Amino acid sequence: MSEHLLEVQNLRTSFVTGGGIVQAVRGVSMYVDRGEFIGIIGESGCGKSVSMLSVLRLLDDNAAVKADRIEFDGIDLQKQTRKSMRKILGRQIGMIFQDPMTSLNPLYTIGNQLTEPLCYHLKISKADARKEALNMLETVGINEPEKRLKQYPHELSGGMRQRAMIAIAMSCRPKLLIADEPTTALDVTIQAQIMELMAELKTKFTTSTILITHDLGVIASVCSRIMVMYGGKIMEQGTAGDIFYRPRHPYTEGLLRSVPGDGSGPKEKLIPIPGSPPDLMNPPAGCPFAARCKKAMKICGLAMPGLVDVAEGHKCACWLLYSRASGNREV
Amino acid sequence: MQDRVLLDVQHLKMYFPISGNGLLHRKTVPLKAVDDVSFSIIEGHTFGLVGESGCGKTTVGRTILKLYEATGGKIVYDGRDITAMTEKEYFPIRREMQMIFQDPMTSLDPRQTVNEIIGRPLMLQKLVSSKKERDERVQELLHMVGLKKDHANRYPHEFSGGQRQRIGIARALGLNPRFIVCDEPISALDVSIQAQVINILGDLQEKMGLTYLFISHDLSMIRHISHRVGVMYLGHIVEVADVEELYTSMRHPYTQSLMSAAPIADPEIAAASKRIILEGAVPSPLNPPSGCPFRTRCRFATDTCADRMPELKDVGGGHLVACHNML
Ligand SMILES: Nc1ncnc2c1ncn2[C@@H]1O[C@H](COP(=O)(O)OP(=O)(O)OP(=O)(O)O)[C@@H](O)[C@H]1O
Ligand SMILES: Nc1ncnc2c1ncn2[C@@H]1O[C@H](COP(=O)(O)OP(=O)(O)O)[C@@H](O)[C@H]1O
Ligand code: SF4
Ligand code: SF4
Ligand SMILES: [Mg+2]
Ligand SMILES: [Mg+2]
Repeated sequence: MSEHLLEVQNLRTSFVTGGGIVQAVRGVSMYVDRGEFIGIIGESGCGKSVSMLSVLRLLDDNAAVKADRIEFDGIDLQKQTRKSMRKILGRQIGMIFQDPMTSLNPLYTIGNQLTEPLCYHLKISKADARKEALNMLETVGINEPEKRLKQYPHELSGGMRQRAMIAIAMSCRPKLLIADEPTTALDVTIQAQIMELMAELKTKFTTSTILITHDLGVIASVCSRIMVMYGGKIMEQGTAGDIFYRPRHPYTEGLLRSVPGDGSGPKEKLIPIPGSPPDLMNPPAGCPFAARCKKAMKICGLAMPGLVDVAEGHKCACWLLYSRASGNREV
Repeated sequence: MQDRVLLDVQHLKMYFPISGNGLLHRKTVPLKAVDDVSFSIIEGHTFGLVGESGCGKTTVGRTILKLYEATGGKIVYDGRDITAMTEKEYFPIRREMQMIFQDPMTSLDPRQTVNEIIGRPLMLQKLVSSKKERDERVQELLHMVGLKKDHANRYPHEFSGGQRQRIGIARALGLNPRFIVCDEPISALDVSIQAQVINILGDLQEKMGLTYLFISHDLSMIRHISHRVGVMYLGHIVEVADVEELYTSMRHPYTQSLMSAAPIADPEIAAASKRIILEGAVPSPLNPPSGCPFRTRCRFATDTCADRMPELKDVGGGHLVACHNML
């Protein structure tokens, strides 16, 4: 059994569509340790959501998922039936999505949606489930929980719905929480409330958390380890310090330069990354970033570099590192 | 260059009639989306407007462009009161005042080619006299926003979000505007693409002396591009100041909480900064609190705050604050 709570090796996911095959995830390997809060960052369409949905086997039938290994808490997820997977989801793995309206059922009250999984997974009585539901709503900072239990999702504000969803995701004390852009649709004030809540819950229940976002600011404050995705692949991974202060991948560097600094220094012109992300219908053979990379070399268009260690726990996939690694050039 | 006010908004009000749910008498209640908003913008400058969703930012922009008929107040553009102008009187000015929208997809007609999207308004406003002249002008505009010649014959869906936003900018620019309302022009774009659009807007301002009203919820971007910034809450402007003054010496409790909630893309600074987490959400504009609109979430609220609405007062150097107990 691996020591990691979740371990994924060489995940590949493609979709068959009318226009052709979309290679959404192209060889992603990752792990999450117990009690760890990690982040996945990357622009829209780079494969963040699909990689998580693949792990959880939540994709539609037009998706083909392959992996060398997907192991959660010693269980091989690839071997699970839909039914046994359903038991793991909700009980051991909780999920929060960008738009709570798509995952909250509009026909049932918040109370119903909170108590049902508690009864199902924990096999407790309705009365106990109700008590626990109230407790959970309070924990996520929803006031007047008694009243909220009787309300339907559309009667709550966006921030409150997101809290209700967190309450549902957390109610069975999952070992792993996957939050896919949980604050993207919310105002910064509400976003700050939700991020604070997630950090609190992590401490309280030692839940491992995977936070998916495209916002550098959101990820900077909470994640200890960060993975940077691009074109269906992981380009760089390391601690928050590695990624923000010692980035080695030209894409990570470009991302950091394209946002304004904290504003205390003189205003420098933003340096955009030219062009736009690659089409995953016909992904380039080499480095997916090559078409936008100022440092691209001939080999970059031909073959994809693998991830190499640049420091303890800091990995990067870029041909520039290979010439350094082989001693051709000094750092 | 002498600072010259291009746009002066005085006590602007925009109330939307909402049908009430009274059982016996169906009456309409006013939704005060914008309530007594005043600010001015110097020609060639960017005025940033920030605030939470639903606080009235878009409504301010649309009312200024006369897309809504203002309920009260005055809009003075280039020295002329345009508030009560008829469609005919306003027509020549309309060209000068343009808008760029948040979602470039829904604001471009999917059935028109880029050439038509950018070229049609040029013909309508009689800025070009022949098809040939129109095509040349379209090419020139595409070049200005960093698109290629052969893009002219394509349709919007063939472009990425960032490229579509550039088409929207090219369309607005074609009319030789002097003033542009940019309503969340980068919110729908990927981080790496946002800077492309921001730089284009900045370059155009420098070259052509454009004046922007820039609406955004991205506080660090607003700081980066604005000369002056206004903070809105529930239809009111609660604080206005020159950008550095506002970001370093904010005086309104709401501004302070909003700024402290903004995510910082730097782990150490983020860890060191103290956050003021606001409780709850913005009250409904149909049923705003008495007195200060922010009092239901304010840490400094006192009895006075429930009784009287604080006035927007100059605290020195063009820094205006509306608070009874300012920081
Ligand atoms: N045409 C309309 N009819 C009725 N109410 C409206 C109309 N347009 C806007 N409102 C209301 O006016 C208020 C201000 O809306 P506005 O769109 O200006 O907000 P905003 O600050 O631009 O928000 P966001 O950040 O979400 O874009 C809201 O309560 C909104 O629901
Ligand atoms: N059901 C689907 N059918 C076909 N293509 C899909 C489907 N879901 C996602 N994709 C494609 O897979 C790629 C990765 O998507 P996604 O993981 O959702 O990106 P993000 O990083 O924004 O979460 C994109 O090119 C997207 O268009
Ligand atoms: S592999 Fe080549 S193209 Fe890719 S990031 Fe490195 S230098 Fe740039
Ligand atoms: S007037 Fe009162 S309630 Fe309003 S912001 Fe100032 S202290 Fe807070
Ligand atoms: Mg996604
Ligand atoms: Mg708006």
